[in-house]
Amino acid sequence: MKRQSDDQALTTLMQAAQAGDARAYVRLLKEITPRLRQIVRRQRSFVSAEDIEDLVQDILLSLHAVRATYDPQRPFMPWLMAITRHRLADAARRYTRRAAHELQVENLPVTFSDEGSNIDSDGYRDPEALKQAIEDLSPAQRAAIEMLKLREMSLKEAAAAKGMSIGALKVSVHRAMATLRKALIKDS
Amino acid sequence: MTMDTEKLIERLAEIVEPVRPLARPWIRTTAWLLIAVPYVALIVFLVSPRPDLISKASEWRYVIEQLAALATGITAATAAFATVIPGYDRKFLFVPVLPLAIWLGSLGDGCVEDWIHFGPDGLSLHPDWFCFPAIVLVGAVPAIVMAVMLRRGAPLTPHITSALGGLAAAGLGNFGLRLFHSQDASLMVLVWQVGAVCVLAAMAALAGRYLLNWRSIIATTHRSVLLHPS
Repeated sequence: MKRQSDDQALTTLMQAAQAGDARAYVRLLKEITPRLRQIVRRQRSFVSAEDIEDLVQDILLSLHAVRATYDPQRPFMPWLMAITRHRLADAARRYTRRAAHELQVENLPVTFSDEGSNIDSDGYRDPEALKQAIEDLSPAQRAAIEMLKLREMSLKEAAAAKGMSIGALKVSVHRAMATLRKALIKDS
Repeated sequence: MTMDTEKLIERLAEIVEPVRPLARPWIRTTAWLLIAVPYVALIVFLVSPRPDLISKASEWRYVIEQLAALATGITAATAAFATVIPGYDRKFLFVPVLPLAIWLGSLGDGCVEDWIHFGPDGLSLHPDWFCFPAIVLVGAVPAIVMAVMLRRGAPLTPHITSALGGLAAAGLGNFGLRLFHSQDASLMVLVWQVGAVCVLAAMAALAGRYLLNWRSIIATTHRSVLLHPS
């Protein structure tokens, strides 16, 4: 009996929501959300709380998108349950598809194994020559390299610290990198 | 999702606007026919009706086949409109089965009769490449209108809904075709015309997931929720 009157109340709220009554809509959505959460939790007991909330939100968005399909002459709950069932089935299909294309690995390699992809990171290993090359830079270029590459400051922070424009700093660091590259290749 | 559910509910309430509930499937079918039938009539008029149309109208087999094709189109349209309503009665899916069975049965009976009267010659089959493009032409506007109307509903069963929509448009297309195309040999009609209708319905079924999907309609709602100034 109580359930019937609950359904009747929801039907009335949905009719008002279709007419654009925002307050009735909030009441309706707040009323059905715990029920949806319960249904999703019961049917998807293996998913995390966060995923359950995602599914509930998905159903609420679906309800909103197709609210014109509700026939005000009919009870509300069967309509809502049909949407819920389909959305949960869609989510299960999505999950299965994703799982089929996912590869579980213990540790992802940090780089590719072929030689070409490792030249830049592994080819040069002479910190003394690098230190010397940085010292040989002009003061402005050295400062730019120190701040942006060694102390990892942002362009904005470095420009403020040096009292330069961001554009000028970019030019300095670009030229410094070119000079370093030239010097280090010559040395090696 | 990027917001909590309470916040989402508030946002949905902020963007809620009055909506007109979708009409019952049979009312929507009537609305569809009001656009589709004049278009079919226009095409028949432009291509010019077959010269023997008046005499054909008194042949019971031709009349039954035409009525069955038309009824298949109409019932398929009603079923398609029903499938986009959450909680629809699944009995709707079987409504087109009866007229379709009558249509196929009457053509099958025609094949048997042709065999009895003319022997193997009565069942000769030769290419009739006119049928497929003609059904596409006659069914084009009904199909477009059908697609637009179906997209207003919920994409619960995209493939089934699209197949029914395709069957409706192609069935109506075939009805129109036989008003200007003088091809009445039952086997030819069965293979080239009903075959074309089935191929078009199958193509519509394949296109279903692109035409009708939750992803696009949810994305629109999600965007409105995110963009709405709170």
